[in-house]
Amino acid sequence: MSPAYGARMQRGLATARRYRWLLLAILALVWGAGLWAAYDEYANTYEAQATIWVLRASPELAATNLDDPSVPVIQTVAAQQVELLNQLLQSKSFVRDVVGRTSLSSTLEASPNDTKVLDDVRERFRIRTLGTSMLRVSFTASEPRLAVEMVESALAVRLERVTQARLAATAAVSTLYRREFEVAQAQALDAQRQLDQFNATHKPPLSVADEHVQAQLRLALDFAQVRLSDLKGRADRAIVATAVLEMSGIEFQVVDEPRLEMFPSGGARPAAILAIVAIAAGSALAVLMIVVATLLANHVAGPADVGRLAPAKLFATVPRVVTPRGLAEQDLRTSLALIAFGNGNAGNAKERE
Amino acid sequence: MTITDQVTRTFDGLASRIDATGLRSVGFTSALLGEGVSTIALGTALALAAQRHDTLLLIDANWIQPSLSADADLESAPGLADYLASKADLATVIRSAPRSRPAFLPVGDRSAARPTLRSLAALLANDVVPFQTVLVDLPPILGGEHFVLPWATLLDQLFVVLREGATPLPLAREALAKISLATSPYVVLNRTTAPSPELAMSRLAPRTSRL
Repeated sequence: MSPAYGARMQRGLATARRYRWLLLAILALVWGAGLWAAYDEYANTYEAQATIWVLRASPELAATNLDDPSVPVIQTVAAQQVELLNQLLQSKSFVRDVVGRTSLSSTLEASPNDTKVLDDVRERFRIRTLGTSMLRVSFTASEPRLAVEMVESALAVRLERVTQARLAATAAVSTLYRREFEVAQAQALDAQRQLDQFNATHKPPLSVADEHVQAQLRLALDFAQVRLSDLKGRADRAIVATAVLEMSGIEFQVVDEPRLEMFPSGGARPAAILAIVAIAAGSALAVLMIVVATLLANHVAGPADVGRLAPAKLFATVPRVVTPRGLAEQDLRTSLALIAFGNGNAGNAKERE
Repeated sequence: MTITDQVTRTFDGLASRIDATGLRSVGFTSALLGEGVSTIALGTALALAAQRHDTLLLIDANWIQPSLSADADLESAPGLADYLASKADLATVIRSAPRSRPAFLPVGDRSAARPTLRSLAALLANDVVPFQTVLVDLPPILGGEHFVLPWATLLDQLFVVLREGATPLPLAREALAKISLATSPYVVLNRTTAPSPELAMSRLAPRTSRL
């Protein structure tokens, strides 16, 4: 340690000693407030969790490689669902729907800044994978019942939206098939009409050329009927799929429903962060104050400062006298005067100093 | 430890250092009022008297605020100023004390005379010779320079008292700069909270007494 560094440290320590009560007060204030906030966060945070088991991956939810769309990104089923939920949470309408089904809806309606409320709700959701096929949805709130309501509401709204999206897709496919069926039906009718027309105008026996044409017309009719039959089958399957979707839900199963927690949970991490930040901030503030006070200090802070008065040198130090407990308050000067002069006027010494 | 022991032991360190260096006449001054100069002069006088077992004279030469004279209830009594004005004999104005305590010379009628180099030289060279040790309580340099400088050239050592955590550095520098014209001052740091570091004792060679 260089002498200059040692001198700076001594000055800093002297400044800290000089302002120790102020520093202690500031530390007590900042640390106290921070630790109290941390305790409050820990003691008043309730977390509700739902554990979900996902059966199969959804092709429509598969992620694509942004650099090369032809290369598929391998995702677990749980990761797919987590991403879906996280994306849904980014949507204001989704969060609004979720809040609208809970006891917080009145607060949202009464709030002048609903964006703030929705952002706060969004931040309190946590969705994470527990494995390849399992994920967890949790929500932290100051009321245990609200946390449960939020998780249940989020899962319900999610289910509704996914079902609606699939129903819409299926309905579009059905419509397409129906249109194609109508076209195919018209083509089949047209082919039938052409064959009937030919048969009406060409009585047997037919020439070789006529027989060839008749065969062609029959073939065209057969193709049209086959296509008609195929399209009818597809349209029927689309209708069935719609009904199946309405009744499905097995692919996204909630294995652990959110429960009403009677004891605080989920607040340990934010409380720890609050406490650490408060301690760090208080310490940093105290150090900063010491540094600033030392830099601004323009008085003799200690023996090390006498070096700044060169060529004068330090000869001796006289320590501060601490009056022992239990004895009457009697200042140093009065005592010295009594010893030296031994008269009653030594009691006025304090006034004259 | 009684409070008496505690207060006297407070100055043992300073007194021991003065004793070790063999200084016979020392003065205490400061940059400003309120630095504890008179208290240190009084305490050191008591401690030195106990250590050296010699005759010791404590002089109140603070023309600005003679607090030691007030402590002794001798504010209106004749003293140094009367002696310098040739209005009183030194032997009559010095208040003697038991061997373990210092004798005391109050300031006297400050309007009668001011300390001059010649008069103080005669005092220290002749009149206070019976005293092995002389301690002088002086006013602050800033504001009382003309009361301090005559003593600075005559005393074995002049100590400038600074108060830890209180004396502004610029004023301390200014006071030391004024004194440095006449002597090489040493600093006594008052009301410290940390233990004393290794000090400049080895650098302070014993000086030949001017007494």
